[in-house]
Amino acid sequence: MSGPYPLYVPKYPRSWWLRKGPYRRFAAREITSMFSAAVSATLLAFLFALSRGPKAYEAFLRLLDSPWMIAASAITLTALLYHTATWFRLTTHIVVVRVRGQTLPRGLLIVALSVAWLGASAVVAYFHVWF
Amino acid sequence: MVLKVFRYRPERGPEPYFDEYEVPYRGEMVILDALNYVKDELDGSLSYRWSCRMGVCGSCGMMVNYKPRLTCSTFLREFYPEPVVVEPLEGFPVVRDLVVDMTGFMEKLQAVKPWIIRRHESPVESGEYLQTPEEVERYKQFSMCINCMLCYAACPVFGRDPDFLGPAVLALAHRYNLDSRDEGWPERHQAIAVDWGLWDCTFIGECSVVCPKDVDPAAAIQREKVARTTDAMLSMMLPFGGQP
Repeated sequence: MSGPYPLYVPKYPRSWWLRKGPYRRFAAREITSMFSAAVSATLLAFLFALSRGPKAYEAFLRLLDSPWMIAASAITLTALLYHTATWFRLTTHIVVVRVRGQTLPRGLLIVALSVAWLGASAVVAYFHVWF
Repeated sequence: MVLKVFRYRPERGPEPYFDEYEVPYRGEMVILDALNYVKDELDGSLSYRWSCRMGVCGSCGMMVNYKPRLTCSTFLREFYPEPVVVEPLEGFPVVRDLVVDMTGFMEKLQAVKPWIIRRHESPVESGEYLQTPEEVERYKQFSMCINCMLCYAACPVFGRDPDFLGPAVLALAHRYNLDSRDEGWPERHQAIAVDWGLWDCTFIGECSVVCPKDVDPAAAIQREKVARTTDAMLSMMLPFGGQP
């Protein structure tokens, strides 16, 4: 429907993701996903060092103990905690669990996922600390 | 109370501008009442769409203080005594003042075939296609859309590329795919698995936040992605592509 007069077509800014709180939170969610790639890369480097023998392995452990690596790990952990929390919130929008014809409320799913996550983390921590 | 209204009058020039109007304040007045007051008493040249005045027809969606809202159900008291900025829905071309061009939306709506598709139509004499209450419940939420397009105005993917099929249309496709009477998902999938279709939604989720009917288009789109991925995986793994 253009009619006799031209339409006015407003420009949508490239910086849309900075404009509103929800958009900024979306951008944060997407950006923090890259930290999981960083964790995977670190694990691969760890395995690579392990394959090269005890010296390389020790050197890699010293690298992980360095202050800047500990700081990077703290930032990564924070980012991943944020990403995981947002992921659970989103997952419960997508997944529909029906029990005896009733759809389970989203809140219950978020709690169940969080409990499973904490449980898995506790198992990993147990093996990491005591073995 | 001051209403700051976006104006675009193409016969006057290519650039939009804002007009300010002083409207009387009453607690029970909605933004649409204020616009009607402007039109009736102050400036008859103001153009905007409205019809039912009760949140059903979906005509009066506008940006109210930079958020997509139905103006018939947005009260002045929410903003009083501060001024209210009223603009046309974001992301759409503007025809005039607060009226946006819906042509693209209407074309997309048709493209996803929002009707029951059967492989073989039964004759009328054989009666209705029956459904259980549980089968209705599966899609009912997604059938409540009133095509007000607020979800489009909230969607940056659509804002950046107007070709994106968008939340309401994709949710409608999902609604018919969920319908137990429908057998048309492969046909509909051709329409939505396109450039700027289903897979371009990045799940920002604001479409569901602004939806006045709690349709939750963001959920519909993600569930459609899951359904189609499952179908694709099964067709790869099962003999004869899982077809009987």
